[in-house]
This record gives sequence, C-alpha cells and structure tokens, in this order.
Amino acid sequence: MGHALADVVWEDCVLEPRRDRALEAFARRTQGVPNPAIGYFASAPWLARAMVELHPEYGLLQRLDPAIADLVTLIVSQENSCRFCYSAVRALLWAKGMSRERIDRIEQDLARGDLPPRTRATIDFGRTQSRSGPPAAHDACAALRAAGVDDEELKEIAYAVAITDFSNRASTIPAIPTRPLERMPEQWHMRLLRPLIGRMLNSRRRMGGPVALELAPEPPYAHLIQAYRGSPIAPALARTLDGMWASGHLTRRCKLLMLAVIARGLSCEGCAGELATALADEGLEGAALDRILTHLDGPELEPLERLLVPFARETIWYEPARIQRRARGLREQMQEAQLVEAIGVGALGNGLCRMGAIVGCAT
Amino acid sequence: MRDLTGYLAGAAALLALFALGFAWLAERRRSAALRLQLDAMNAELEHLQRACSRLAPDGVVQRLIDAGGGAGGGNPMVPERKVATALFADLVGYTALSERLEPAVLARVLNGYLQRMSDAIHEHRGHVSTFLGDGVLAYFGALRADPWQCADAVAAAVAMRAAIADYNRELAKEGLPPVGIGVGIHRGPGLAGLIGSRERTEFGFVGSTVNIAARVQGLTRVHAVDILVTDDVRAELQDAFVLEPMPAEHVKGISEPILTWAVRERSSLARAAAA
Repeated sequence: MGHALADVVWEDCVLEPRRDRALEAFARRTQGVPNPAIGYFASAPWLARAMVELHPEYGLLQRLDPAIADLVTLIVSQENSCRFCYSAVRALLWAKGMSRERIDRIEQDLARGDLPPRTRATIDFGRTQSRSGPPAAHDACAALRAAGVDDEELKEIAYAVAITDFSNRASTIPAIPTRPLERMPEQWHMRLLRPLIGRMLNSRRRMGGPVALELAPEPPYAHLIQAYRGSPIAPALARTLDGMWASGHLTRRCKLLMLAVIARGLSCEGCAGELATALADEGLEGAALDRILTHLDGPELEPLERLLVPFARETIWYEPARIQRRARGLREQMQEAQLVEAIGVGALGNGLCRMGAIVGCAT
Repeated sequence: MRDLTGYLAGAAALLALFALGFAWLAERRRSAALRLQLDAMNAELEHLQRACSRLAPDGVVQRLIDAGGGAGGGNPMVPERKVATALFADLVGYTALSERLEPAVLARVLNGYLQRMSDAIHEHRGHVSTFLGDGVLAYFGALRADPWQCADAVAAAVAMRAAIADYNRELAKEGLPPVGIGVGIHRGPGLAGLIGSRERTEFGFVGSTVNIAARVQGLTRVHAVDILVTDDVRAELQDAFVLEPMPAEHVKGISEPILTWAVRERSSLARAAAA
C-alpha cells in the first residue's frame, strides 16, 4: 500500500508477541474487534491495557469530535513517522467504510487553507506539539483559543495529541510490524469482512460522560490527573499510572529517573518538580540527582539504570530506524519484560509531559 | 392542448435532467483530472522536499512549506532567542593539501572529510548549518531545546576525532597524505531561525557565540590541540570529559582573553556508560 510513510525505514520487530487471553478479551471488549498488536506488550500488562484504554475514541472524550480526534492521530503519527499508528488509523478509516482514495483525499485536504478554523487550529496544534513540544505550548494554546476552542475542549485536544505521542513511541521503538495493517485493504477476506468489522468498531466508539475520581491522585503527575477531574480521562490516566508503578520489571527509582530525564528534556517544570520530590523519597536528591540528569549517568546508578537513563533521553526526539536499532541493542542486555516496561515508561513520560504543558495553559 | 403542454413539460424536464447528468459527468471528469494533477504535484513536492532536505536541516523545509501554505508551525522567518552551542571545525593543512593534490582528488578527499564530520554531528543530535570551504559550522540546541547540548557537541567533536583517524587510515592506503582537524566549541545566547535575503536564506544562529566558537577553533593551532571548549561549555560538562586547561589568550574582536580547555577524552564513567 503506497502512503506518505511508505519510505520510512522500519526495522524488524524487537519483541516476540505472546498470547494473553485476558488481555485479548479486554481489547475485544473495549474496541469491538481483536487487537493483534497487544500481544507484543503482554509481558508488561499495564502497557498493553494502556494502549487500549487510553485510546480517546472509546468513551474518553466528552467534547472533541471523534472525527477530528482521528485526524489528530493521523497527523501526529505522520509527524512522528510512526508507520504502525499511521497505518492503524488508515486501516480503521478503511474498515469504517472509506475508500483508500477518500483517505488519501482527507490527508491532502488537511493542507488546505479553507478548513474550518477550529479544525485548522487543531491540526496545526498537533503538528507544532509533535515538532517543537512543550516550548511551543503557549503559542499553540493562544491559536486554539483564537479559533474559539474553550479550555475543556483544549484539554481534550491536548490529550488526543499526547496519547498519540505515547502510542507512537510505544509502537515505533520496538518496531511493531506494520505489514498486516498496510495489507489489510488488499486481502480478499478482509474486504469481505469489512462491513462487519466497521459495524463492530462503530458499536464501541462512543462519547464519554462525567466521571468522578474515586481517590485523590498521588504524585507524581497528580497535577495532571487533577486537571482532568470530572472527565473520564482522569481515572483512565490514574489506572495506567497505578499499573505502571505496581509493575515490578523495573524498580520505582529506575522509572522515576527515566521520567525525570524526559521531563528535563521537554522542559516540563510541573512534572520535573513532582518527580524530584519522588526521587528524594528514593534517596536521590540535590547534587547527586542534578549530576545524573546532567550527565545521564552517575556512580549512584544501578547497571539497569545506567542503560535506561540515557535511553529515556533518546525517546524524546528520534528517527525510527535509529531508535529501533538502539532498542535491539538494549534487548541483548536485559530481559524482554524489562525492555517492554522501559519502552512503556519512556512512551508514557513523553505523552504526560506534552499533555502537562498544555494543561498548564488551560488551567 | 393540455396534452401538448404536458408533453412539452415532460420533454423539458427530461432535457433538464440530461443536461444536469452531463454537467455532473463533466464535473466528475474535471475533478478526477484535477485530482490526478494534485497527486502528481504532491509527488513532485515530496521529491522536492527530499532534495531540499540536503540543503537545510531536518524540519526547516517542512516549516517553510507550512508557513507558505498558511498552516501552523509559526513563521519560520522570525528568528527566536535561544541558548545554543556552536561547533566550528576546520581542516588542518588544507592549503598545503590543495597545492599538492589534483583538484579532482582534492574534491574527493574534501567530500569524504565533510561526510564523516556531518555523520558525527548528526549522530550526536547536532545539525550542520553550513560548509565554509573546508570548514564546518554546526549547532546543537538551535532547532529544538536541548539541555544536553554541550555534552552532545563535545561528544560529536570526539567522534569527529575518531572519524578522522579512520579516514587517515583509508587515505594512507591510497598513498594520500593524512588530514587533521581543529574544533572550537562555545555555548551562548543568540537568535536562531532563517536568516538571509528574499532570494537566498539559510537556517542560522546569529550572535557572538558563533564568532567566539570560530576564534576558539583558531586557538587550536596556538595550543597545538585538536578540540578546545570555552569555560561556558566546561561549566556545563562538569566531569563528563577529561579536560585540560589552556592559557588564556586574546583573540580578535573580543576584549577579554579567552580561557579554553582542551578535550582529551571522555571520562572513565562516561566511557563505561557509552560501552
């Protein structure tokens, strides 16, 4: 299938997929159709669940039009050169009944100057956030407000962009195979099943309603979850973070260090402050922490941390093939479950920091 | 009479329907032709973008296209205030080399050198702003904020040193003389963005930072070392590299003498992490 990212070099997948019936059932229940990619993340179930549960289309948005959310996913995946997510959105649109020509046309139309101002501003926002990250947040917020977007919708747009940044990294770094998605419209049985798949997908796609947080969120990232209180996004984020902290493939300190590196790289002061406090509780503070974050190394680090702290930095801006080769190198030095968790932590840290910058403008 | 009016009305309605059908078909054909033209133009644009990416850093071409089309990304023509690290590299002995070698051989040697230097810079998240004959000017942290820009720049310089050593082995096999480099690195504020005239622009970083990096590169000959960094860079590096202080020197255009540090190697800790 020829598309805008067909030339992006994509290495062989670093991970082995494995079957997990509980996860498969969860994905099927949430999305309406099986999600074969979930097997690649099965060794870190919190990440596999997050890939499904954080998807904006299944009851997390209250204001943002899901069609615009699809466009955001398409454009951000294109900016991040994520062949997997880009192909996934195209396959999704195809399954919902659009021809490939129509999808191409939608993409071409995204460059048109006469789009409705809100759509134009949302697409521009997705682009600038993927290219420049939080430093461009202030101008991006101002442009959205000028187009008539209010704070609540702005936060949902920020969420859609940030979660695409998260899934792009989670799929790109291990090089999840793209061919099955790219070939989907060419396969006769998929063409035959297309109306059924479309119906199943649409049956699960829904807008969300207000949801209260059961427990007050704990730092780090409490400020972010608080910013979404009342929205179904808040409990979904809280569940993902709880799952990440509870998972034992990497230590809490290692995860905090990776997240702190990303917060520094993206100049997210809110996240960096909360992470520094959490790291102080782990015995790392002051000059020692500053030295680690400056050099991405330090005598205080454990062997696994010494591998993953510099890796966290590489997840901020990357070229797909290069970071995929880097992930392969890491795979030789740690267990697969540790690598999957590290990819998840890196991806989530990027998504949360990018979300944090916009939420800061909106609240 | 009523029948005739009925027939005429029916015929008129049929004619109008045919006319509408023809108009719709013609419009469809026209829109298909336009779509084909648009596809061809898109393909051409992608081709141009790929070609232009050799002339400007990643992302700059896209930003220019977006700005022209009214899309976002800000106006790339307006430079932004940033703190960036400038790396200035020069080929040592180029003049002597140019006198000894045939122009074709010289061009091949020069291209090989520039390619290796660019690779080392790119590998460490820098971008080459321009080639000035045998000189290379690169920036770290000018396109995107990068809190690790000084370490990246010095790591790139160390990689350039290793690349030159490899290249000299290749040149020796061909019976060609070895080449050497001098690298100066300085960090400071400036304006980053597209600079130039209406006819010709390039992504640049304007300010004294670049001049100081160039002057520091000149000091590599005075101190007989290959990589020199300023005190501002050293302050950011802390103990990531083994540095040796050099005597302060006056340079043209700067009132105060410049204190520089020669980069020997990565510190043992950094080497272990890289390994």
